[in-house]
This record gives sequence, C-alpha cells and structure tokens, in this order.
Amino acid sequence: MCDQTFLAICFGPCDKCGKTKPLMNIYIKTDPINYCSLCVEMMATEGLQENETLASLKNESESLKNKLEEERAKLHDVELHQVADRVEALGQFVMKTRRTLKGHGNKVLCMDWCKDKRRIVSSSQDGKVIVWDAFTTNKEHAVTMPCTWVMACAYAPSGCAVACGGLKNKCSVYPLTFDKNENMAAKKKSVAMHTNYLSACSFTNSDMQILTASGDGTCALWDVESGQLLQSFHGHAADVLCLDLAPSETGNTFVSGGCDKKAMVWDMRSGQCIQSFETHESDINSVRYYPSGDAFASGSDDASCRLYDLRADREVAIYSKESIIFGASSVDFSLSGRLLFAGYNDYTINVWDVLKGTRVSILFGHENRVSTLRVSPDGTAFCSGSWDHTLRVSAGVLVSVHIQNT
Amino acid sequence: MSGNLCSSTTAARARQAVEQLRLEAGIDRIKVSQAAAALVRYCQEHRRNDPLLTGVPTSANPYKDKKPCVIL
Repeated sequence: MCDQTFLAICFGPCDKCGKTKPLMNIYIKTDPINYCSLCVEMMATEGLQENETLASLKNESESLKNKLEEERAKLHDVELHQVADRVEALGQFVMKTRRTLKGHGNKVLCMDWCKDKRRIVSSSQDGKVIVWDAFTTNKEHAVTMPCTWVMACAYAPSGCAVACGGLKNKCSVYPLTFDKNENMAAKKKSVAMHTNYLSACSFTNSDMQILTASGDGTCALWDVESGQLLQSFHGHAADVLCLDLAPSETGNTFVSGGCDKKAMVWDMRSGQCIQSFETHESDINSVRYYPSGDAFASGSDDASCRLYDLRADREVAIYSKESIIFGASSVDFSLSGRLLFAGYNDYTINVWDVLKGTRVSILFGHENRVSTLRVSPDGTAFCSGSWDHTLRVSAGVLVSVHIQNT
Repeated sequence: MSGNLCSSTTAARARQAVEQLRLEAGIDRIKVSQAAAALVRYCQEHRRNDPLLTGVPTSANPYKDKKPCVIL
C-alpha cells in the first residue's frame, strides 16, 4: 500500500564504509540503516553481472515487451467475428428465473455448483455459508464463519465438503455431514494461510488439493489433509481477484486475474507463469476457461468482457457496448462455449454470442449488483448471486426464429 | 515480485522480469484465423449438447413450475 520514505539528512559515520559523510536514513524491510549515498548506490547494483547495468536490464525488458507485441501482431490476420460470419445467428434468447434462493442476511459474494448438478454452496458478507438444493430451494447446511465477507467458496468434487474463506486470510474446509447432532463447524479444517484476504478458491480434480487466490498478490496450491503449501505462484503486481482451473483434459494449468489488470496463465507443477495478458483497462474480477481449454474469458471493472485465445496468445474478442458502463463481476460459458453469461454491477446479466461478439439477451431481476454467476455442470441453468441477498437460478430458451445478420 | 524466489535486490528482480519476458516472447503461437476456426468448430460440434442453446423439453426440465396436485 503506501510506503512513506522520510529522507532526513544527518552527518555521521556510514554503517558500511565507515567514512564520515552525509547519510541516507533508509530501511531494509524494517531495520533502519545509515549508509552514505555511495554505499546505497552500490547496494542497489549488487548482483549485477559484467556488462549489466540496471539501465541495460530495463532496456532489454522494454525491447522484449515490444518484441512480444510484434510477434503477437504478426499472427493477427483476422478477427474472430469475421471467421464466425458464416455461422448462423442465434435466434432470440428468452430467459426466466426459475428459482429464487432466499436466506442470506446480507450480500451474496460467491457461489459454486456441486457436481450433482442440483446443490449449490453460497457465501455472504454476514459470514454465513449455506448449501442449498436448487430444485427444492431447501437449505441443507448452514455454517457461520468466524469472519465476515466470505468472498470465496467452492464445492468439493466429491460433494462431501465445501471450502470457504475471506477476510481472515485463510481457507477452511468443512466436511458436509447429514448427522443432525453434529455441528458442521466442529470438523472444520484450516488449510490455506495468506497474508491478506482470500478472494477465490477452488478444489483441483480431487478433494485433496485446493488452489487459492489472495489480496496479497499470490496464488497458492495446498494439500488439504496436511495444510501444507505445495506450490506458490508469484507474479501479479497487485491483489489477485479470481482464478479458474483448466478443464482436466488440457492439463495442469490455471488462469488468474487481478487488480493489476493482468490475466496470467500458470503451470501448476512448476509455479511458472506461462503466458500473461494485459489488455483490460481496470481490475479483472472474473476469469473462466472456454470449455475446450484453448481460451478463457475475463470480466472487468472496465465494463468489458474479453476472450483470450491461448494458442494465438492474444485477445481475440471484446464484449462491450457503449450503454454498458458498469463493471462485469462474474462470467461463465454455456456448455458448448457459444454463450457467455456475464453479471454486472448495474444489476443485470448480459448474455453474449461468443463467436459473433454481439449481445443476445439481457436478464433483469436482481435488485442490486450481481456478484457471482455460474452455469450448472450439466448446462441446463445458471445461478447468479447478488448484493440483494438472493441467488437466482435461471434458464433460457432460444425462440428459434432465424434472424438475418444485423 | 516475480519468479519463484523472492529476491530483495532490484537487480535480481529486474533480471527475473527480463527472464520472464524472454520466456513469454519465445512461445509457439498460431495464427488468429486458425485459433478462431478451432473455436467455431468446437461450438458447432457441441451445439446440440448445450441445453441453454437447444432448450430442454418441459418433461425433462427439473426447474419447471410445479403444478398443484389434484387428488382424484
């Protein structure tokens, strides 16, 4: 956050060279040191090799960035929507809210579907985490977290546990029990520990590992049983707000988005950043892989959603309209990848034709910001959570009227 | 802060940034036309399996509005 450096000129012996000179009072981490200006210069250039200066490294960095842009531009021979011209247009898409889940006492911040396609876990600002049956709207489990602002929650692949976290900087796993006598909070396992708030979490392919993203600028992979840190991912220059794992067929990677406007793709085994994309103009609130794993979409405070293709290594589509001026908080694809659902801070959900780049439908209904949105695992419906304290399960149908390309 | 190691010197950080950029600049890329064609192909191939696109017959729809039961 804010670093204030106070520069006071005092005269005395330098801690390093011993000469009596004007001293610079600086801090290394939290230890104050008094070096003369020559020793401060030398310290900054420590570790440089022959023929290397900070300036030359900076120049190399700039020229590499330009080279990266050039290489990407060389392959930019056509736009996605041009290739999609020959694809028939979608008809009119009518959406309806089928279920409204009421029960949270404050803003709903996050939700996730269970693999059984009917259960949903949601978390809220009031610290409550609730597991619902979306078909019947019954609440099956509820637990109160020790912190407020539970910003992240996730369902385990087995359906037997949920993970959640927020302002307390940690991620906890709660096994789900149907025993009425057992207190859900009693069996809680603390898994992850960051140095700032937890913004997102997701189980990997099994109940055994969890991936987390944090306001401390890092992502991390944890072993649930032991709570051990397996791998950490450093590279974002600011808070990481979201993450999504690649579909299992495509291998061990995940994408993260942050307040530094960057989306980064990581190798889970090595901890290395493989690709990064910086075209958004503001915080990236949500990232989601395209079902084939070859691309991902992002939603940002700059009111646009974008599609990045991983094999072309560039942004290939922008989903925006002049009339949309509020940030997109959450995005998800339909099963075929043709539709992109995006929840916005202006209380609406817009549905985009991924290939043609046009908006297909708009859903009203929430009475405050849409904060989270996920399509169900079988693709029959999508659930949206909002600051209006509710979750809505909605589905749509295409009125199959062929509309000429407009 | 980049790379796996947390270095405190500006020089090491600058070098890590250069290494990262070199890595990213050097990856294999395909043309957008090829990538776009792959995306279109995927959508078309899976279009029939997408209930939000094709709709679900009311009998199979788990969210259909419940009608009151009539006891005969």
